[in-house]
Amino acid sequence: MSDVAEHSVSASSSEQPGVVRELVARFGADCFYQETVDAIPNLWVPKNRLVEVMRHLKEEIEGPFPLLFDASAIDERLREHRDGQPDSDFTAFYHLISLDRNEDVRIKVALDDDDLSLPSLTGVWSAANWYEREAFDMFGINFQGHPNLRRILTPPQWEGHPLRKEHPARATEMDPFSMSDEFLDAQQEELRFVPAEWGMSEEAKHTDFMFLNLGPNHPSVHGVFRIALQLDGEVIVDAVPDIGYHHRASEKMAERQSWHTYIPYTDRIDYLGGVMNNLPYVMAVEKLAGIEVPPRAQVIRIMLAELFRISSHLVFFGTYAQDVGQMSPVFYMFIDRERLLTIIEAITGGRMHPSWFRIGGVCQDLPEGWDIMVRDFIDYLPARLDHYDKMSLQNGILKRRSIDIGAYSTAEALDWGVTGPGLRATGCDWDLRKKRPYGGYDQFEFDVPLGSKGDCYDRCVVRVEEIRQSLRIIRQCLDNMPSGPYKANHPQATPPPKERTMLDIETLIQHFLNVSWGPVIPPGECSVNIEATKGWNSYYLVSDGAGMPYRNRIRTPSFPHLQMIPLISRGFMIADLIAIIASIDFVMADVDR
Amino acid sequence: MRWRLIKTEPGAPMTEPDEAYAQDLTKSVVLTKLEDLVAWGRSNSLWPFNFGLSCCYVEMATALTSRHDIARFGAEVIRATPRQADLIVISGTVFRKMAPVLQHLYDQLLEPKWVISMGSCANSGGMFDVYSVVQGVDKFLPVDVYVPGCPPRPEAFMQGLTLLQDAVASDRRPLSWVVEGDAVARVPAAKPSQRDLRTPERMKATHLAEPTSVGSAPLSTDLLRSKSTEDRVK
Repeated sequence: MSDVAEHSVSASSSEQPGVVRELVARFGADCFYQETVDAIPNLWVPKNRLVEVMRHLKEEIEGPFPLLFDASAIDERLREHRDGQPDSDFTAFYHLISLDRNEDVRIKVALDDDDLSLPSLTGVWSAANWYEREAFDMFGINFQGHPNLRRILTPPQWEGHPLRKEHPARATEMDPFSMSDEFLDAQQEELRFVPAEWGMSEEAKHTDFMFLNLGPNHPSVHGVFRIALQLDGEVIVDAVPDIGYHHRASEKMAERQSWHTYIPYTDRIDYLGGVMNNLPYVMAVEKLAGIEVPPRAQVIRIMLAELFRISSHLVFFGTYAQDVGQMSPVFYMFIDRERLLTIIEAITGGRMHPSWFRIGGVCQDLPEGWDIMVRDFIDYLPARLDHYDKMSLQNGILKRRSIDIGAYSTAEALDWGVTGPGLRATGCDWDLRKKRPYGGYDQFEFDVPLGSKGDCYDRCVVRVEEIRQSLRIIRQCLDNMPSGPYKANHPQATPPPKERTMLDIETLIQHFLNVSWGPVIPPGECSVNIEATKGWNSYYLVSDGAGMPYRNRIRTPSFPHLQMIPLISRGFMIADLIAIIASIDFVMADVDR
Repeated sequence: MRWRLIKTEPGAPMTEPDEAYAQDLTKSVVLTKLEDLVAWGRSNSLWPFNFGLSCCYVEMATALTSRHDIARFGAEVIRATPRQADLIVISGTVFRKMAPVLQHLYDQLLEPKWVISMGSCANSGGMFDVYSVVQGVDKFLPVDVYVPGCPPRPEAFMQGLTLLQDAVASDRRPLSWVVEGDAVARVPAAKPSQRDLRTPERMKATHLAEPTSVGSAPLSTDLLRSKSTEDRVK
């Protein structure tokens, strides 16, 4: 946009965070600083300097930003509250994280509807590739210099770009779906893998390559996920992961649900994570609305989130062992999971998707007798874990199939956007619960398990050890559960407390509006990032002062993890690929959203 | 089909030759129609295709594990290829991008084949009335049993499976809707819905679980809770 430069720097330099001062000093008046509720500095840069700024942030600046955490865009054309921001039809944003500084920065670029193009950052971060394809798919932004800019989430022949405001949201607004023979043939033809499109040759000096299509339905790909493999015999020369078969349009969905009624959709993002998914979303809304969550609600949230971390890791452990050839462990682990879900059910009434957290607290107080059930479980599980240690982790075959398989270094992990246990398996001591304690985690004692090699085996061991640490956290919740309210006394806390509604008309009206239309959240932008079961999960909410989000960006850990598969599977056998896929621990809903 | 088991008693007097012959026949010969015999065999050996779409698949897989043990119904032989399976459970959301693949898989299942639609998404699109989701798998596949829930509990899936077994045993299919050309038509003699059948029985449950205590947690709690907990709760 031409007028970015006119704005120059808004706040006086003493109020600006360090990284902004450094960038402004170097790139001068071309940059524009924007403040948001989440205290992450936002810096608008002109698009012709984007690559320069990014390269500087990644490689040259002191305390670099090696992690491209998230990248997407906002369709700004209908947004009303944009006080003090540069004019923009579409805003591309890049969220970077520096581990050395323990700081974030969000770089934004204003784009004009007539000229939706940006220089590609694939030369700077490997992770940028899929994020740019996604932004192209969802908004129609062209990334110049991208090696293969094609749709990633919607089918190849999709018309329009779904996250643009003019694209219909509901299936029932569109033509009814019908499956004709022509449609079936055309769609199947589009899914045909053409090696040349990916820069692959079909033969080499000594051999003709074989191309194998794994998925989208295959027992070992954990859902609807497809990889096209280039094979020399049984050795993987290259691989192309293909996603989008599980795209449930959760980001578009947020733009029509009220802030409150969107909570159930978050459960279904990482569907093994249950209420863990509610946490970053409700915390982001609370930050926008300025709601303080009472201590009891915080501890209840942590306890349930950690229970779900255990549940998710148990499923991972069982399926991992199964994928490398052990038939029985998964049956043991599902028994434990079933015990755990019984507790979840007694507390929340649900099993996999309780949708139990609320804006300002949780749905209701803990039921009488909860402590007995929880204590029973945390006393019971450690002995089982010892047994699994002997049964699985010390098993020679499992070790031989996973040690030194699919390894990556910390630097590679950051370059590809890997977070969570997959990052800690490389020896990088970075757990958000420790480094940036959120929602009350600073009150708890626990260790951060680390690996050293970053291979399949380490990724498994780290998760198993995390189960033990989660048990420690739950025990502390159990022993120190604070008393007091389970929901904040705040007008935007939803649903509002019922007690006073029958006593005065003002509260009654407030209650009625909050229940029927949902709360109105003040305009602003906010992202909250948490240590979810599979890595870092963040919700970047843009409120336009309405009863529903203007834009809801969901950054999920599994999306970049899958992008990395080709890097870590080259040179291995197909059977190793199965171990690699199992060790990543993903669910497709967490990839495609 | 009727089965008869006759006990031989050592001290019993000898019967006339004709009668003994008749008894012997009833012991060793079963009279039935071939159609019935085949239906009986099929209903007790449904082989599900190992296919999952989303969250519901986790609950379907849970039904296979020890606690629920679907082997009790003869349906634990999970097949990795559609060519060896006769039951496909649509467990999860039917995506626009996945629908052609799903149709292809269904076409590969060998006849006779059955379809269970598991969960709200597969039943009707559920909470995902959104551009990328087909509003129910019955938009292009004939469905035999619909299992409601989001996701349905493993027990609900097993109920759906046993309903399908009953239907297969009496071999009346398709059960509710059929896709014919462009039209979707209701089969005249469709089975009444489980909701209608069970409403009177379900309405008898007047004491619903109180959310304020775990003592009233659902049945599975009682089954799972260890002895020590039970004592302490008392």
